[in-house]
Amino acid sequence: MTEEHADSKDKIVHTVCNSHCGGTCDFNVHVREGKIIRIESVPEEDGRPSMCLRGHAYRQRVYSPDRLLHPLKRTGPRGSGEFARISWDEALDTVAGEMKRIKAAYGNAALLHFCSMCDPHLLNHVLAFHSLLCNFGGYTAPWGYISCEAYAFSEGVTFGKSSKIRYSGHTPEEYLESRLIIMWGWNPATTEMGSNISLSLARAKEKGTRIIAVDPRYTDSAAVFSDKWIPIRPGTDAAVMLAMAYVIIKENLQDHDFIDRYTAGFDKYKDYVLGVEDGVEKTPQWAEAISGVEAATIADLAREYAREKPAILGTSFGPGRTAFGEEYHRMAEALKAITGNLKRENYAPKVKNFGLLPPFPFLPNQVEEGAPPRWNALPSRGPSVNSSARVNVSSLTDAILKGKAGGYPADYKFMWLSNNNYLNQLGNVNKAIEAFNKLEFILVTEQFMTATARYADIILPVCTFLERWDIMPAMDVFSTKRSDFTILNKAIEPLGESKSQLEICQALALKLGITGYPDQSDEELVRSMAEMASEAKKATSEAASKKEDSVSKEPQFRTQSGKIELWSGIAEKMNHPQIPAVPKYIETWESLNDPLAEKYPLQLITPHFKRRAHSQFDNLPWLRELQVQAISINSRDAEARGLKAGDMVRVFNDRGEVLPQGGWYSPDENGIDYGGCANVLTNNVISPGGSFASHTALVQIEKVVE
Amino acid sequence: MMQYGMYIDQNRCTGCFACVVACKDWHDVPAGPVSWIRIKTIEKGTYPNLFAAFLPTACYHCKTPACVSACPVEAVTKRDEDGIVTVDQDACLGKTECGECLEACSYDAPQFETGDDAKMQKCDFCIDRWAEGKKPVCVMSCPMQALDAGPLDELKKKWGSVRETEGFTYDETLAPSILYKPK
Repeated sequence: MTEEHADSKDKIVHTVCNSHCGGTCDFNVHVREGKIIRIESVPEEDGRPSMCLRGHAYRQRVYSPDRLLHPLKRTGPRGSGEFARISWDEALDTVAGEMKRIKAAYGNAALLHFCSMCDPHLLNHVLAFHSLLCNFGGYTAPWGYISCEAYAFSEGVTFGKSSKIRYSGHTPEEYLESRLIIMWGWNPATTEMGSNISLSLARAKEKGTRIIAVDPRYTDSAAVFSDKWIPIRPGTDAAVMLAMAYVIIKENLQDHDFIDRYTAGFDKYKDYVLGVEDGVEKTPQWAEAISGVEAATIADLAREYAREKPAILGTSFGPGRTAFGEEYHRMAEALKAITGNLKRENYAPKVKNFGLLPPFPFLPNQVEEGAPPRWNALPSRGPSVNSSARVNVSSLTDAILKGKAGGYPADYKFMWLSNNNYLNQLGNVNKAIEAFNKLEFILVTEQFMTATARYADIILPVCTFLERWDIMPAMDVFSTKRSDFTILNKAIEPLGESKSQLEICQALALKLGITGYPDQSDEELVRSMAEMASEAKKATSEAASKKEDSVSKEPQFRTQSGKIELWSGIAEKMNHPQIPAVPKYIETWESLNDPLAEKYPLQLITPHFKRRAHSQFDNLPWLRELQVQAISINSRDAEARGLKAGDMVRVFNDRGEVLPQGGWYSPDENGIDYGGCANVLTNNVISPGGSFASHTALVQIEKVVE
Repeated sequence: MMQYGMYIDQNRCTGCFACVVACKDWHDVPAGPVSWIRIKTIEKGTYPNLFAAFLPTACYHCKTPACVSACPVEAVTKRDEDGIVTVDQDACLGKTECGECLEACSYDAPQFETGDDAKMQKCDFCIDRWAEGKKPVCVMSCPMQALDAGPLDELKKKWGSVRETEGFTYDETLAPSILYKPK
């Protein structure tokens, strides 16, 4: 959809933002003489994902003076930022040569590739790399969503499948029909700007829906939407939910009919809640001591949630990113189920993507061939993701450092990082640097000189999505509803010598001698995929019209019982003390009861920030001027340390030290980070179900005396 | 005289800055001290009883604009056809030499780049967009649909006549062209 403007030479090019925030916002890109002059949102459809501040600043990203426009090779020590410009030919020869050398010397499992997983575009994403590497004999892939593995695990053990609705578990349409919404650790005003979630919450409130925010922070969402804010200690959500279940069961407020018809294991769950199993009654008083939430508040919340139906318990991925965060999600699902507030329809079949697959040659990953499933594999997942040959994202750093000797499947020598900023984002930065320094070769495909790119041996410059074609499937997840595929039109030519991810894979395929990798242009590939998808859709709708309504909307749960499992057979089979069969509260490591809390008495959580999507967009002037990245601390804790707003502080623990004023890791010669990268302080220890526990960390804060 | 104005539902504003950056992109305003629309944050209370609200703040294209009467060279004028207050930068004497409009405006609408020769600039209510039949870019970029713009009379019929909200005091003398749904 490209239109010539009637009264000028401007071209308006339609595309869809892909910036790893979960949103997929429509862009109208205004182009004059091959240059983007502005980007406009596409507001005509009510509730359509609408551009956020980052989307509106995208022109500055494209034309940023910091863009990497030529291949680079490292000339100084890793991390020094010393690089020299080289030709594409030299860069690709070097990369292909290293890949072949490492494959010959150590085997394919020594090759790691890590790509972010969230963006729905098909040609320039994980499938392109995956196909290339499988055709090279295989590679080691990570498993585990950094964002939402705790959620995925909970869905897997409770339902045997995933809900269509990943955020909050309910559609925005449901908000408007509800009498109560509990926003539990959920701050959509900041984290889900590319959706109609916030607008729908506002509309629900206008219609009279009562909204309660449970959150350690008084978030923008709490301020704008909530009638009541309940502060809670990080990592203790499951305890408060358990006490809510206690009140509901004790006062016989549960939905007996829903429990009988659709759930299995209620009695065992009840035995744990009431203390029959372990002698501990999970009373509101019990939860108050753990969470800091008053017992009476917990009891009131329980009664309100059980009585004010329909009610929404809106969860988010954030509280799941704690140690044993899996239990937060499981406990929330249990609460939804016992009160009958669970929407079974949200587990019905997903929107079909009509065979929209890029024409990459797909081979099984030979590194995973013959490897048994992981002990914590989920039946809802495919055999590849479940393979024990993979390494969990939280454990990648440790796996690189220890290899086979540490119990990991292989010794890792090569890592290719695409579409991510590992060093900045994956926790325990100083340990990650140690790991990076152990690798024989690091390839980074990037737009900017990120913390990660500084450690690369070769950097290949990638263009933005406005400089290439792509296509995304129909979607009904992430609160994005698109009933058909969408073409991401190319607005301008790639800047400098930058190339798309697809072109990089195509060029490497040639150097690696891989046959069958598609050699058409991105536009040709998009056009042929769109044509195939249109035909498939036509055939599907013709077939559907012949046997109308034959498709059941009744969800099929793929659990042992076929029901929603409050006692999970899948979890039971994992036979791990920290993956209980019924959801339980398990105290986190680095909790306030940890002896370490004497030295580091503050709990650190690292919430999202409006002007960034993870580490992206941090370097754009239009965004930098809007907000100063600063520590938020309770006024009581601040007073105890003699701190007032605007003071510079140092935040530290045994893992490192940060002066909080930004997002990008920028260490001085002593390794103290002046970039304000909170992940210097976070840990990267895997929670048993795979949760990425970045919100579990103890720190101390001190005023910096000038 | 026709008067255009703006309506803001403060309950809906999440302080997301989409309008601020959309404005900068549309009007090609660089990062720096100039921002034709800004977000004010109002915070009150002590833990755990807290209150916070956001308020977009641009030029209110007042009925009796102080900037127009303050300008010694008639560089700031009010259009008859829609009441939009515009500035002729070629005529403007600049902040250092003059700066009278900045002194006169209670709402910080006049904006200046740094540098001695900086001329006044401010929200022009997207005159260029109205000409194409589009509302201002702040209105159309708001994901919360918290803003509306148009003839003030029509806005009053649609949204009511409340003229004050958290963080904004209505100045009777200036008569800013603004309506609110207050928080």
